[in-house]
Amino acid sequence: MRQLRSTITFALCMAACAPLDAQAPAGTIVIVTGEQATLPVPTLIEGAANTRANQELADQLFLRLAVRKPGHATTDEAGYEPQLARSWSRRDSVTLVFDLDPRARWQDGVPVTARDVIFTFRRARDPAISPSLADLLRYVADVSAEGNQRIVVRFTRAYGEQFFDATYYVQPLPAHLLEGMQSDGIAPSPFSRAPVGDGPYRWVRSVPGESVELAAVPDFFLGRPGLARVIFRTATDPAARMNLLLSGEADAMAAVVPPLDNRARLEKSGDFRLVTTPSDLLGYFLFNLRASGDSTRPHPILGDVRVRRAITLALDRQAMSQSVFGPYSKVPFGPVSQLLWLGNVSPRARPQSVAQSRALLRDAGWRDSDADGTLDRNGVPLEVSIIVPSSSLMRHQLSVIAQEQLRQVGVKLDVLVLERPVWQERFVGGRFDLSFGAMRQVPTPSGLTDSWTCKGASNVSHYCDPIVDSLLAAAIVSQGNPTATFVQALRLMENDAAATFLYAPLEVIAVHRRYEHVELRDGSPWLMLWRWNVRRGQELPRDRVTR
Amino acid sequence: MTWLAGRVGQAIITAVVAVILAFFVMRAAPGDPLARLGDEHPLSPRQMETLRARYGLDQPLTTQFTSFLSGAVRGDFGTSIEYGRPVTGLIIQRLPASLLLGGTVLLITFALGSWLGALQAVRSGGRTEQAIGVLSLAAYATPSFWLGLVLAWLVGIVWRVLPAAGMHDPLLPSDATFGTRAVDVLRHLILPAVTLAAVNIGATMRHQRSAMLHALREPYVQAARARGLTEPRVRWHHAFRNALFPVVTLFGLWLPLVVAGSVFVEKVFAWPGLGALAADAVSARDYPLLMGITVLVSLMVVGGALVADAAYALLDPRVRRA
Repeated sequence: MRQLRSTITFALCMAACAPLDAQAPAGTIVIVTGEQATLPVPTLIEGAANTRANQELADQLFLRLAVRKPGHATTDEAGYEPQLARSWSRRDSVTLVFDLDPRARWQDGVPVTARDVIFTFRRARDPAISPSLADLLRYVADVSAEGNQRIVVRFTRAYGEQFFDATYYVQPLPAHLLEGMQSDGIAPSPFSRAPVGDGPYRWVRSVPGESVELAAVPDFFLGRPGLARVIFRTATDPAARMNLLLSGEADAMAAVVPPLDNRARLEKSGDFRLVTTPSDLLGYFLFNLRASGDSTRPHPILGDVRVRRAITLALDRQAMSQSVFGPYSKVPFGPVSQLLWLGNVSPRARPQSVAQSRALLRDAGWRDSDADGTLDRNGVPLEVSIIVPSSSLMRHQLSVIAQEQLRQVGVKLDVLVLERPVWQERFVGGRFDLSFGAMRQVPTPSGLTDSWTCKGASNVSHYCDPIVDSLLAAAIVSQGNPTATFVQALRLMENDAAATFLYAPLEVIAVHRRYEHVELRDGSPWLMLWRWNVRRGQELPRDRVTR
Repeated sequence: MTWLAGRVGQAIITAVVAVILAFFVMRAAPGDPLARLGDEHPLSPRQMETLRARYGLDQPLTTQFTSFLSGAVRGDFGTSIEYGRPVTGLIIQRLPASLLLGGTVLLITFALGSWLGALQAVRSGGRTEQAIGVLSLAAYATPSFWLGLVLAWLVGIVWRVLPAAGMHDPLLPSDATFGTRAVDVLRHLILPAVTLAAVNIGATMRHQRSAMLHALREPYVQAARARGLTEPRVRWHHAFRNALFPVVTLFGLWLPLVVAGSVFVEKVFAWPGLGALAADAVSARDYPLLMGITVLVSLMVVGGALVADAAYALLDPRVRRA
């Protein structure tokens, strides 16, 4: 009897003390987000569905052909690692060939084939289905198959980011489930409510307005996921998101800063560590170079480049950026967020110089003739307004700081805080002097053409320098290293004072200390979540789940 | 019966006028519902045109209104611009959460508020009345979002006895029993319900106290005492029942609170109700979703008034004859 008891005790002990990987995947992560994914289906993440939540979830469910390694330029073809494509080669300057990994399977067991890739590229390149994607893939001439496993992508021209275009924007969909549907039939179909992907995690359930649960695919062909369960939990209010973290109900959260005091609260709790990754966010004062509401006339004040430069030089951008983001931000040189590899090679932004600012304004003919503290010229005061969305307290605070700093050089800045839809309407319609914009950038500098070239689709400020256009065009099609050409374009933009670029922050992410092998990717922090796992001996009750 | 038919007719006309006004006022307000889509990822004019056509925003206002009306009659309010899904479905998804929170708050507010208000009147001039009065006024003067944040911090983070946010524990297994699920929802309900009830209960108490003081001075109460009835019976059976009339009116007027009266609290506690959905719809100028919620709230407002009228008439026959 005693022997039996000892045997049972030993067996129980062995079971309890067994290494985690014998039971893996195990462990849970609850990621708290500000919005819920509503349509995490590639080629449908457009318009209102073009949200970070949808893309982050799609990244768990659907693979790309290859993904960029951290720190590598988008033009560096050696800087990618395989996902769906096992290998690739270049046939000529306009043709790339990808060989699919034969182990890749859809979560219903069907192999991933060239048919899926071609089906998805066809959808992505159709402007009626995916207008934004079709525009981004404008240099893709043709995508064809050579057998079941080989994809051939042909481009209309030779340029440096062909590989990026072929791999970043398109995450293949299962053709065998979707091919028979009308092109607009996927969004309302059951597939969109429970997508079947080929990624490391599969869809389990969604609770509207609250959470989405994913479960690990144990036989994922790139390796067994370390975490059994991923839950994206929604709280639209920033205070509620922090409460979920601090109360121990969530394990990770992006965009922790601002506000800066969140850092102290999390450090005090001791359960979390803060990890940073380059953010795609860029904050700037955009100058309207045309008269507010009348794009046929130059702006009476801001049309003068000396005034724009003076405004930029009058601001202590470093201090402003630090007041909001602390050490997690830098003043960008040109419209370059930290996500763009260009940020690592571009020069430093010019520091504040009140003396130079005053000199420029004097040179432009502005004097304080009536001694009221505001400069004037021909009876017109140097007074401009900035429109700020009321939804962003941070932008409002920074505008007030700028107002005070500009007052020191005799510029009167009126801060107009507008309800977000009104701000957007005035911004898009060009009815502003300055606008406080915050843009999210795609990871490629070729995206700069959209807002900063003469014919850019989103160029609402009417900034136009044909030399910048030529330089950007040359850099984009360059087959060598385009860095010098890009930087030259940035120098011109800075010189033209196209905008006052204020901050390019890092993404500050809180992660519970019990996770190891934490790897965050630029622009899509949770992309490699399947490689994370819970440290042995540090499991919480919610980690005791196996699938 | 004629009285009731007249009241119902009035209610229908009121609801229709409210919805028509809401439709045109909303569109007259500045702000383009599609401008948001071009905020962080700017869209080209061609893309904007495509989207405008997709949501029927390129049509004349009268055509949009006709289209809205024909859909609304069938319970179809179109597709939400923000969520890209049918509005009716979105409302149905969020309605239970709102009904649960609003219903609980209404129940606590009126059951407890009426009792405490009456107690204040009965103990008029005493320490109990003063203590209840000070507490209720303090709660009434407290902003609900502030109280919510304090409770979430204290109870959810410091003490960790109740969840700080949400309506369900996402870690609950999908095969959990009904009992387990009910307990889970109740645990999540406590903080937002207490926050809202604490803020709203003061008004009910003030009304009830005033009505009860008035009732206690009425001749029928004196007559009841003269008949030798016990004091508790006089207070609670005679005075209290008659003092409930003003509170019944208040109940009817507060009925819409059940649907969308707790925007801040829903946000602070990440409660997935209609209030937060309505707030998001307003800030995104999501016309279809806003109209869907407006129709529902309008119906609740006129329905609440109708219920109050009917209850009043039921309790006091003089109203029917008026």
